[in-house]
Amino acid sequence: MIAYKFLRPDGTSPFTGFRWQLPNGGPGRWVDAPVEPCRSGIHACRVSDLPFWIGRTLWEVELDGEIVEHRSKLAASRGRLLRQIEAWADDLRDEYTRMCANRAHELVNSISPPLTAWDAVVEPSIPEGPALLGFVAARIAEEISGPEAYHEERARQTAWLTERLELD
Amino acid sequence: MAQVQEDQQSSAAAAEEAELLARLRAGDERAFESLVESYHGTMLAVARNYVKTRDVTEEVVQEAWLGVLKGLDRFEGRSSLKTWVLKILVNTALTRGGREARSVPFSSLGPAGEDESAVEPERFRPPGEAFAGHWNAYPGDWSSRPEEGLLGRETIDVAKAAIETLPEAQRTVIAMRDIAGCSAEEVCETLDVSEGNQRVLLHRARSQVRAALERHLDD
Amino acid sequence: MTELHSHDHITCQEVVELVTDYFEGALPADQADLFEQHINFCEGCDWYVDQMRTTVAAVGRVEEEDVPDEMRERLLTAFRDWKRK
Repeated sequence: MIAYKFLRPDGTSPFTGFRWQLPNGGPGRWVDAPVEPCRSGIHACRVSDLPFWIGRTLWEVELDGEIVEHRSKLAASRGRLLRQIEAWADDLRDEYTRMCANRAHELVNSISPPLTAWDAVVEPSIPEGPALLGFVAARIAEEISGPEAYHEERARQTAWLTERLELD
Repeated sequence: MAQVQEDQQSSAAAAEEAELLARLRAGDERAFESLVESYHGTMLAVARNYVKTRDVTEEVVQEAWLGVLKGLDRFEGRSSLKTWVLKILVNTALTRGGREARSVPFSSLGPAGEDESAVEPERFRPPGEAFAGHWNAYPGDWSSRPEEGLLGRETIDVAKAAIETLPEAQRTVIAMRDIAGCSAEEVCETLDVSEGNQRVLLHRARSQVRAALERHLDD
Repeated sequence: MTELHSHDHITCQEVVELVTDYFEGALPADQADLFEQHINFCEGCDWYVDQMRTTVAAVGRVEEEDVPDEMRERLLTAFRDWKRK
């Protein structure tokens, strides 16, 4: 099945440091990693998982073998990189960051009295980038309307990414 | 893949141990000497958990080896050689440590008190405030420092000094795990402590040492 | 096992208490996921986790003590006695 994966600019995994073979004229090499009961296997995102794992570069991956669905990721026993989603570059990352910051401001001011203390972290967080702002917006949504709202905000972020990156 | 590697490692270790035992039983002095050397750090660390004075810990380690020799012919290999030697050491510490010896009250390991937090609570946004529990100010980025400074002589000495000020149980666990390279299972078996408690002790110990390194590095 | 304050996200304060369990592979899958999500967006905690790795590495370089000469001699003598029996 097709899924997505964020990697560091050098093609390594942000948590394990594993170096993936990057696609070059064709898909990268298959990687095998047995899925044990708890953790391991190759981790990848469904589209709905993307906002939770925002990274520097985005890749389309093909998963095979045993595939386990976790709450916010997939774990598969085989995977390979198919292509880079090149649209996910600095410009779009900055746009996403700004989109989340604007959402945060909007949410903060959507109630009376406004959540001024929560608003205070938004602009200073911008340099830290899209992953943080995505969390900030969702967390503020949760503060106003509860845990459901956290997930709704994440779903909004997914919709934005799906559209701008032209994912299926 | 990981499981296969683990199995290979443990059967390689088992083969190595069988060979060592054969050499010991054949009277190979070099084998005995290198065994004593390789276990020395671990044995001191374990002994220190039960006995305070440096002299007594060394006596206890020596006594333990005599006990090992006494029992070597009868050792059946049901546990690993290391675990067996360390068990003898613990028993020796408890029975021969004299007035000093104490059973470690691991069962009295309570939840972390206020001073047992890995990081002082004041460094995080207070409960009830916006983004409660998040850093007030970020800790330092050590990755931007050259490795020679990070893992150089000075830093190692700071780590060593910090370990020496830890409560016994924490000191023993971090010495066994991170200095001597014992596995979690070896620590639990030797000290008769649960995996969870072993982790708590390791966590507290490492957190203290990190704090000491931070004070040293971020000056 | 630590009870988290939320099923959807963890705080920096929780991260610093969970880091050892994370290194040991002892976190339940859901908690490990939240841990990784957090260090993915929180630079401060990414740096803290790195500090803990450096700490373990530094401790790993602390030298183990040598066997004192006297002990070495006594034990070798004992070994030779044991051999002879």
